[in-house]
Amino acid sequence: MRPDTWPMFLNPAIWGFLFEGLRETIYIALASVAVSFPVGLLFALGRLSRRRWMRWPSTFYIEGVRALPVLLLIAYFGIKGSALFRPIFGQDFELPLFWAGVLGLSMYTSAVLAEIIRAGIVSLPRGQSEAARALGLSHAQTMRSVILPQALRLMVPAMMAQLTTVIKDTSLVGTIGVFELLRQGRTIYTQFFNPVEVLLIVATVYFVICFALSRASRRFELGYTPRAARIKIQDIALRDQAA
Amino acid sequence: MPGGIAFEFPQLYFTGLWLTIQISVLGLLGALVLGTLVAVLRVSPIAPLGWIGAAYVEFFRNTPLVALLFFLFLGLPLIGLRFSTDTFENIFRAAAVGMGLYHGAYVAEVVRGGLLGVDRGQIEAARSLGLSYAQMLRYVQLPQTFRSVIPPLGNIGIALVKNTSLASTIGVAELLYAAEIVESRTFRAEEAFIAATLLYLVLTIPLGIAVNALERRMLVAR
Repeated sequence: MRPDTWPMFLNPAIWGFLFEGLRETIYIALASVAVSFPVGLLFALGRLSRRRWMRWPSTFYIEGVRALPVLLLIAYFGIKGSALFRPIFGQDFELPLFWAGVLGLSMYTSAVLAEIIRAGIVSLPRGQSEAARALGLSHAQTMRSVILPQALRLMVPAMMAQLTTVIKDTSLVGTIGVFELLRQGRTIYTQFFNPVEVLLIVATVYFVICFALSRASRRFELGYTPRAARIKIQDIALRDQAA
Repeated sequence: MPGGIAFEFPQLYFTGLWLTIQISVLGLLGALVLGTLVAVLRVSPIAPLGWIGAAYVEFFRNTPLVALLFFLFLGLPLIGLRFSTDTFENIFRAAAVGMGLYHGAYVAEVVRGGLLGVDRGQIEAARSLGLSYAQMLRYVQLPQTFRSVIPPLGNIGIALVKNTSLASTIGVAELLYAAEIVESRTFRAEEAFIAATLLYLVLTIPLGIAVNALERRMLVAR
């Protein structure tokens, strides 16, 4: 470490630059969660459906996407995202890299959320859905007013934990040219030649956000989670949070 | 044939696949050793050791792997630490070490859960029979842990294989890197990425099936 590498951080412009990156990081994470939650819910319901034409494609999507590296999805949409949407939006359409990244990230996150939601639904006692059906509710009504409200409440901690993974994974979107936090940091250290200091600061920012979120997620245990569900969710979380 | 492009550029794809496998195996070995050590630290009765273990786990679980890789590859040489004087060897080792450090934190969480799952009575019985703490760990607590942690460790292994793709960001010519190079040479993005996708699936799907089978067998055994 050279002695002249720290004073540059006294310059507020450097912090402003990093802050812009942080804002982009948060936008990517929020957009990805907003897209992947409804998609994940659909695929979870699809996988639980009794109709084969819904169950098989949903299972295929969930298992297939979860078996792939997120960076591969992001890199693919970064290169071909625009071309994919041209048939819909016309020949001149350019997909902003921000949305290409969100698309790749959401595809992966939706598959993970689908598994988390499914674990929550499956873990509810069978009596719940049987009672609802016996009372004359249709399958859709049972899901909407009995099963989902309970299952989603169980899922809140797991989903918040998944949000920390999404925030970590936003750093991958930098590789396709979106100027999020890590990418801004890289720009700084290529200028000032001080990767050690910059990476320590950037890592600390990620750490503070993710650590606070994962701590908070433990507080959000709403009601009683069945043991089987907790174990299942932990397993999913381990496999997919590492990503 | 989907993925046929891999045979047009075998040098890139199959060397890439081989590098992916090498980094995965080395990273997993490192993660297992490191994770078990950290887990033992975390359950040890000496509080400061427990804090060190917890700090390790929380730090690596809450920072992105790419930042760690950049640090190992760019930062360490500046403070006089280099894995190898050869550039390619250096990034390869940086990637393997990064995989080990990052996933070691997840392994530690799993192994710690397993260690805490061992009945306290057994630990107390072993200690009162005169076994030292180290002997108790070696002969009583760890052997019982290994069985129950195998399926979750398999899941971490799958995550690790997928995460080796991040090594492409520091220039390791693994699978994803191969796909990107082929895409930029041929502009056949679909084919290039499908070939890499299939090769990743060749690695992750059998692992996933094995983990599921193990999980089911463990359930029966209990």
